[in-house]
Amino acid sequence: MIQTWAMLVDAYRELNAKKLFWITLLISGLVVAAFAMVGLTEKGIKVIVWDIPVPMFNTTTIEPATFYKLIFSNLGIGFWLSWGATILAIISTASIFPDFVSSGSIELTLSKPISRLRLFLTKYATGLLFVTLQVAMFSLASFLVIGLRGGAWLPQVFWAVPIVVLFFSYLFSICTLVGLVTRSTIAALLVTVIMWLFFFGLNATDAVFVQLREQAVLREKALVTRVDNLEKRAAQRVREKRQAALDLDPAATPRPDDPVTPEDLDADNPRLPAQRQKLADERESVAKWSKWSRLFVGIKTPLPKTAETIEVLERVLISEAELARFRAPGDEEEFNVGERDDVRISGREMRQSTEKALKSRSLWWVMGTSAGFEAVVLLIAGWIFCRRDF
Amino acid sequence: MIASTSEWAIDLTHVDKMYRGKIHALRGIDMRVRRGEVFGLLGPNGAGKSTLVKILMTVISPTRAEGTVLGKPVGHKPTLARLGYLPEHHRFPEYLTGGQVVDFYGAMGGVPKAERRKRAPELLELVGMREWANTRVKQYSKGMRQRIGIAQALINDPDLVVLDEPTDGVDPVGRRDIRGMVQVLKERGKTVFLNSHLLSELEMVCDRVAILVQGMVSSQGTIDELTRESRRYVVTVRGPAPPWAGEAGLRISGEHNNVATLVQPNDDADAVQRVIDRLRGEGRVVVSVTPVRESLEDLFMRAVTDPTTGKAAGPGAAREGRAR
Repeated sequence: MIQTWAMLVDAYRELNAKKLFWITLLISGLVVAAFAMVGLTEKGIKVIVWDIPVPMFNTTTIEPATFYKLIFSNLGIGFWLSWGATILAIISTASIFPDFVSSGSIELTLSKPISRLRLFLTKYATGLLFVTLQVAMFSLASFLVIGLRGGAWLPQVFWAVPIVVLFFSYLFSICTLVGLVTRSTIAALLVTVIMWLFFFGLNATDAVFVQLREQAVLREKALVTRVDNLEKRAAQRVREKRQAALDLDPAATPRPDDPVTPEDLDADNPRLPAQRQKLADERESVAKWSKWSRLFVGIKTPLPKTAETIEVLERVLISEAELARFRAPGDEEEFNVGERDDVRISGREMRQSTEKALKSRSLWWVMGTSAGFEAVVLLIAGWIFCRRDF
Repeated sequence: MIASTSEWAIDLTHVDKMYRGKIHALRGIDMRVRRGEVFGLLGPNGAGKSTLVKILMTVISPTRAEGTVLGKPVGHKPTLARLGYLPEHHRFPEYLTGGQVVDFYGAMGGVPKAERRKRAPELLELVGMREWANTRVKQYSKGMRQRIGIAQALINDPDLVVLDEPTDGVDPVGRRDIRGMVQVLKERGKTVFLNSHLLSELEMVCDRVAILVQGMVSSQGTIDELTRESRRYVVTVRGPAPPWAGEAGLRISGEHNNVATLVQPNDDADAVQRVIDRLRGEGRVVVSVTPVRESLEDLFMRAVTDPTTGKAAGPGAAREGRAR
C-alpha cells in the first residue's frame, strides 16, 4: 500500500508539473462557464442577457433539465471531453511509459521490493489520473450548473467519470504498449491517435450502415403499405368492374367473388408492377445493408468502441421518454432518398429508428468487449514489461 | 579459511547472461562479498559490470545464476528491501525536489512514512544536501544529483549498498566526500558493493576487489593478495652493477650516471638485507632501497592485457562464436 500510494502521489506531482494539465482544466472550466451562461426561455435560448429565438430549443419543445443534460452529454462530454480534452490528455500522458522505462529511471524502480506486474499495473492506473481528475472536476461543475440553472440535481452526471475514464483507458492501453515497446513518446502518441481515428472511422461507417439499413427498412415498410393499399384498391375496382359486367350479363365471368389474380390487379393499375419491383429492390437493399452492418459489427466486436462508450452516458442520463418528447433538428421533415424517388420517410422516425438500433446494442457488447481488448493489450504490455531486461 | 555462508553478503556462482543468444555478457561469474566489507568491481567498458549489478538488483534476469544475496536466492524481490542502489547514469524525475526523491524511493522500498521522515533529514545532512532539499532536481548539478542518489540509496537503512559509479561527474571535493560516506557506511557495518572506473578511488576505500574481463572474473581478493606477486625491492647503488647480482637473484634494471638499479623480484626483507650487507661489505654506497608494489591500475592493466598479443582488451562483451 505504501508503494501504491507513493506512485499515486508521484503521478499527481507529475501532473501538477505539467502545464497542459492546468490548461485543460482551465478550458474545462470555460466550457462549464459557457453552459452556465446559456438558459432556456419560451421562445428559445438566452445567452447571459440576450434572447435568441430558436424554434427547436425552447421550454415548449424540451424541459430545461433535459436541455442541460443534452448539452452536458453531447457537447460537454461528447465533444469537449471525448475529443478536445482527450487529445490533450493523450499528449500529456503519452510520455508516461517511455519516461518510466527510460534508461536511468527504470533501474531504480525495478530494484525495489515490488513485483513487476504490480508495478506495471499501478503505473498504468496512475496514468489514468489525468483524465479522472479532469472529468471529475468537469462533472462536479456541470452538476452544479445543471442544478442551479436547470433546476435538476442529477448525481447521474458523475457516471461521466467512470465512462470517460474507461473510454480513455482503451486508448491509453495502446499508448502504453507502443510506449513500452518503442520507448518513444512520439511513436506512442502517433500510433494512439491513428488507432483512435481508425476506431472512429469504423464506428462512423458502422453508424452509416445502420442508418442505411434502417432507412431501407423504413422504405420497405412504406412500400409494403403502399403496394398493399394499391392492391386493395385495385382489387376493389376489379370486383366493382366484375359486378358491373355481371349486372349487364348474368353469365359473365369471372364473377365478383372469384379470386383476383395479380394480372387482374396489374391490368387495373399499371403502376403496380413498378411498385412491386421497387419493394423487391428495397428488400434487397435491406438484406445488403444488414449484411454490411453485421460485417462491421463483427469487425468492431474485438475492438474498442470509443464513440459508443461515450454514448452510454446519454443512455444513463436521458430516458427514452425524455428523448421521445424532444424533437431534434430535421425531425419535422420528410424526405426521399433520390430525386425521382417518391417514397418519403419521416425524419423523426428515421432518427428514432437509428438511435433505437444503435442503443439496442448491449452494454456488455459496447463496454465489455472493449474492456476485453484493453485487457489483451495490457496483458501483452505487462508480459513485455515483466520479461524485458532493462 | 572457508567462511560460513552467513558471512557472505553476496555469494554468486555460475552467473551467466546471454543477450538475445548473441552477446555473452557474463560467462560463469563466481564472486563472494563479505558482510561489512567494501568491495570494488573493476573492469573495462563492456566487461559486464553493470550487467552483474543489474542482475543483483533484478533489473535484468540472468540466463543462469546460482547463489545468494543477503542469504536469499538471487532475484528474491523481498530481499531488495534490505538493499540500497545507486544506478549509473540515473535520472530522477525532474518535477521532484531532492527531499521528495529521497522520500519517494524510500516509499517504493516499503519504508513507512514515520521512518522516512526521521531518516531523510539525517541522510540529506550526511550527503550535504539539507539546504537543497526543497529545490527541484532539474536545478541540481551532476554532483548534487549523485549526492541525492546516495541519500535515496540509504533511506531504507540497507544492509547492502550497491553503488554504480558513485563518483561519476563529481568534482574532487565531492569524491572525497563520497569516499568519506563509504567509510561511514563501513563503520556502521554496512556492506558496500562499489562499481567504478576510478581505480585510485577504489584503491583508497576497498577491502577487496574483483576484476571483470569479458564477462569473467579475472582475479579477486584483497589488493594486498592481488599484488603480492608483484612486490619487489628496488636497490640503487653507486657504481656499476655488482658481478654477483645474477647469482644473488637480482635483476639489473639499468645503469645510468654511475648508479646501478637492481631489482629483487620478491618482498623477502631478509634477502634484501643480505644484499645490502654484501654491498656495504664491498664499500659500495647504497643510494636507496625501495619496496615496490603494483598499483591497482597496474594490476588492472595486467588483468585486461592479453599476454600473447600484449594488447588491452577492447570495449564490449564477448560475442558468441567469435574469438576475442
